[in-house]
Amino acid sequence: MTISRRDLLKLSGGALAVGAGAQVLELGRPTPAAAQTPKRGGTFRLRSHVAPVHFDPHQTIAFATMIPLSLAYSRLVKVKAGSAVVPGTQPIEGDLAESWERQGDTVYVFKLRKGVRWQPKPPVNGRELTAEDVRYTYDRFLNAKGNPNRFVLEMVDKVEVLDKYTVKFTLREPNAWFLDRLASTSTWIVAKECVDQFGDLKSPDSVVGSGPWMLQRYEPNVRLTFVRNPNYYIPGLPYVDNVDIALSQDPAAGFAAFLAGAFDFGPEYGMVIRRSDLDIAKARVKNLGTRDYIVVFGGFTAMKLDQDPFKDVRVRRAVAMADNWREVLETNAWSLGKGAPNPLIPAAFRDWTIPIDQLPSEGRRLYESTSADARKLLAEAGHPNGIKVPMETTPGYGPDWMDAVQVALKNWKAAGIDVDMKLKEYGAFVSSSLLGKFDRMMLTLRGGTTDPDTYFTLMLPGEPLNSSGVNDPKLTEMVKQQRRIFDEKKRRDLVFDIQRYASQQVYYAFGASVSAVAAWMPYVKNFGPNIGHDYGGRLMGAWLDK
Amino acid sequence: MKKYVLRRLLVAIPSLLIASLIVFTLPRLLPGDVVQLMLEEKAYGKDLEELRAKMGLNRPIYIQYWEWLGKIGRGDLGESLWTRRPVVEELLRRLPVSLELGLLALFFSILIALPIGVLAAVRQDTLSDYVARSLAILGLSVPGFWIATLVVLLPAIWWGWSPPIQFTEFAKDKWAHFSQFLIPAFILGIASAAAIMRLTRAMLLEVLRQDYVRTAWAKGLRESIVVAKHSLKNAIIPVITVMGIQIAQILGGTVIFEQIFGLPGMGRFLFDAINQRDYPVIQGVNLIIVSVVVMMNLLVDAMYAFLDPRIRY
Amino acid sequence: MANHVGALDAPRAIATRPARPSPLRLAWLFCRRKPLGAFGAVLVLLMIVMALFANWIAPYSFDETIRGARMKAPGSQFWMGTDNLGRDIFSRVVYGARVSVSVGFGAVLLANFLATIIGITSGYFGGKYDICVQRVVDAWQSFPFLVVILSIMAVLGPGLLNVILALGVLGASAGSRVIRGATIGVIQNQYIEAARAVGAGHLRIMARYVFPNVAATIIILATIGLGAAILAESALSFLGFGVPPPYPAWGAMLSGSGRSYMYTAPWMAIWPGAAISLAVFGFNMLGDALRDLLDPRLRGSGGGRLR
Repeated sequence: MTISRRDLLKLSGGALAVGAGAQVLELGRPTPAAAQTPKRGGTFRLRSHVAPVHFDPHQTIAFATMIPLSLAYSRLVKVKAGSAVVPGTQPIEGDLAESWERQGDTVYVFKLRKGVRWQPKPPVNGRELTAEDVRYTYDRFLNAKGNPNRFVLEMVDKVEVLDKYTVKFTLREPNAWFLDRLASTSTWIVAKECVDQFGDLKSPDSVVGSGPWMLQRYEPNVRLTFVRNPNYYIPGLPYVDNVDIALSQDPAAGFAAFLAGAFDFGPEYGMVIRRSDLDIAKARVKNLGTRDYIVVFGGFTAMKLDQDPFKDVRVRRAVAMADNWREVLETNAWSLGKGAPNPLIPAAFRDWTIPIDQLPSEGRRLYESTSADARKLLAEAGHPNGIKVPMETTPGYGPDWMDAVQVALKNWKAAGIDVDMKLKEYGAFVSSSLLGKFDRMMLTLRGGTTDPDTYFTLMLPGEPLNSSGVNDPKLTEMVKQQRRIFDEKKRRDLVFDIQRYASQQVYYAFGASVSAVAAWMPYVKNFGPNIGHDYGGRLMGAWLDK
Repeated sequence: MKKYVLRRLLVAIPSLLIASLIVFTLPRLLPGDVVQLMLEEKAYGKDLEELRAKMGLNRPIYIQYWEWLGKIGRGDLGESLWTRRPVVEELLRRLPVSLELGLLALFFSILIALPIGVLAAVRQDTLSDYVARSLAILGLSVPGFWIATLVVLLPAIWWGWSPPIQFTEFAKDKWAHFSQFLIPAFILGIASAAAIMRLTRAMLLEVLRQDYVRTAWAKGLRESIVVAKHSLKNAIIPVITVMGIQIAQILGGTVIFEQIFGLPGMGRFLFDAINQRDYPVIQGVNLIIVSVVVMMNLLVDAMYAFLDPRIRY
Repeated sequence: MANHVGALDAPRAIATRPARPSPLRLAWLFCRRKPLGAFGAVLVLLMIVMALFANWIAPYSFDETIRGARMKAPGSQFWMGTDNLGRDIFSRVVYGARVSVSVGFGAVLLANFLATIIGITSGYFGGKYDICVQRVVDAWQSFPFLVVILSIMAVLGPGLLNVILALGVLGASAGSRVIRGATIGVIQNQYIEAARAVGAGHLRIMARYVFPNVAATIIILATIGLGAAILAESALSFLGFGVPPPYPAWGAMLSGSGRSYMYTAPWMAIWPGAAISLAVFGFNMLGDALRDLLDPRLRGSGGGRLR
């Protein structure tokens, strides 16, 4: 699953910062899931601050669409959910697939659960879900024109039906992340009847899935209502009968409604509440359930590697050393200081991000330096009076983002890096700077995908998002190689090596990510927040004890 | 009278045509390609062209314009490039919301402005005049979204109450539907009140000096009757003019309030469409708003002519 | 107060009219006659002074982050407190006057410049030219202002100059109507015909005869427009299209982080909000007073006597 730049815009730069540094702050310890009997019934009330433009998962990557789809659809495998799951980890379990096995390096065979029925909605009307549906879905996924999600499964060569409940995937080349990709929130299994009847899946009437809730009603820009799927294949789930998502754009109004008891979960994306509002919320809601977790978005600086002064790695290092990631975290309303610096793989991925102290010395220095250090390095690189460079970014990510950019600019200036900021309106920015058409420096947000492998994309030549213009055969080879290692521990070693190497080359400078606070009402049980758009997965095992 | 109205109507047509031209070209001047925005940053070279062709965006501009005009004649404003829902359908859903908000705001505006304007005129240059006018201008000076934020947030923090965040349709619950407009309309109304107050005061002042008023005074009529019967009627005319202008401003300026109070109106619809370069929506909504305003101006002029037979130009 | 009787005073004979009073006396009379307007003038003056002398008035620079002084409440060191980035709010408010003055005066200057040209030429020449121009102005004016502003900002990109441009272009249409009306009123006068009879060219007539008489209208439009421009800037900031950093715009301070920290650090929003309100209030009051004094319709009715 991915987040588009446009969505990051609407997440108001919740995690930002251009900088570097050390010290991961400890994550909140989860309250142990008490052994209770789940209660059935009730309505989950949530807020989403963006309205879904349409509902076709093969035509958009917007989380505004994926969140409602996560409630109504299922896929082959999913990420485990519940209060025991540590946020940032993505343990995989079967969803529609009962079991699977890898045959050789490039073949995966999935055995589907038997007797799974689609939701009792026309035109599918509750018939049984078979392997043919899976084949149809991925056929459309890979071949539909304009599917921005295609890169998620671009390694798939063909999908074949072996029998009614067995599907075989053949990959072009080995990719150890295949299962993680399949568990993302764009790989929903869709029904052919819907596409045939509606032409595409954009209309809310065409949302017929096999997930825990059914989309009952969509009032554009107002609300989404879901009702329990009586055919859901896990008996007893979901516990809660209805889900009501209010579409409200204003964060102040959203927070006010939360205080007034209109929502069961924190009003911002990921069930989060701004840390600056936490005390007020706690005052009003006794025993508010909370949990901290590091979010996956963060800012980064792209530098044109074929232009002066960024040809010299020392200058790039100075840029990364000079911005004060700690200050950015401290001045941000969502983090108030709590968060973590990011190496190449975002710190949110607890299992795959390299701890800063395991980086080589040049890499560590990026996160622990002062402006004076950066100034010295610049002088060594032949710029004793500092450098002056243009930079492009957009205010479209929100005032929090612009604040962070201001902090970065100030700290760069203190190190002798005089950055001349040129702002572009969001639409113009996405169509030009983001795709590499900028002069020397660009600042933007990354994040959204929940498998670490996609974060290597900006290092690979030929990728549209490779804005710095990286072409490093050694790096490319390492990235390709780690995809072929199935042993997790060995893969991690290589992934760590890649991050070490990246920290020495500094093709990009990565900003820190905030540690956000997820919040929920005390009567919500067995809920655990996590990164990603899979609201449905996280809600289906939770219940209301009211 | 009829000839006048007819003439004004004829004159409105070229305005509308020019407007339609502006409405059509303006969004296409915006940098940033809508197809690229749709594909976000995962643009696949081949797909771009095909998508563009599918949406009919690769044909010459004048053909697209002509086709659009033709569609309008049939009452079809096209479909949103993003949601593929017909623009007319969306407008029918949102226009009433904006109109309700606007009209209710105007109502509050007048409710506040007229008494203050009258008071200020009748007690010109006294303390009451100063206080009244200061209050009205103060209402204009404080940014509306600021007041709205305070009204939304403070009660929530103090008492755990906030205005409803979800929109209730008229059919579902009439009172809830109406009451959700009250707070935003009032705040909007405060801002517009100043203009109407000013005009009322000025007009009333001018009228109060007319001979026939002095005659009524001299005859010994009570002040209130003098004011009400003789002056107000004539002072009303320009006030109606201003109301027309205010409606236009309100219609265009409701975005912020729609956002804060969760009202699915046209303002936010248009705002999002511009950001997303959704050309049919931008064109359709603009055209409707411009037409409404032009018609409103026509109406105001007609009323003007009706009320004051001296005016005929 | 028996103001109604003012109009009954017999007009003074020309011969006995006293010499023009000194500027100081004028100011004093103005304060007495129009106390609200005088108060408004003081506010406006304050704002201009802040804008011009910001370097001397503000203790810190507007983007200077002071170590260890984040989110401090107003106190002896920071009169208006500090914001989440550790910047002194008083300094930012003072420097913000520069931005507001630039945006306000810039936009109004541009708007009225355009409006004057369009309005005077349209009213003066009349005929087909007038009809055509008025149709375009009609169409332009009916546009929801949001569209115009967003479109201009999207094309030009964010920036102080672009905000001025956008607001200026927007404000031109309404003003042109009023100026055109005033022009039509002026050209009915005899001296215009006389000038034409003498052989004065159009440009000369417009510049020397029409413009000075329409000037009063323009001034009134300008003062009200200044208030509107400042408010518009704050609305634009709320929507994300205002003056971008590093310039400390009051509107941006109010709608950005001021709004986020509204409850925990209300001073971040109160001071810029008060600044906006007072500035707009001042411009409006001053404009009202000026209109009362300069509007010919009201001149003989007790509103314009300074002698």
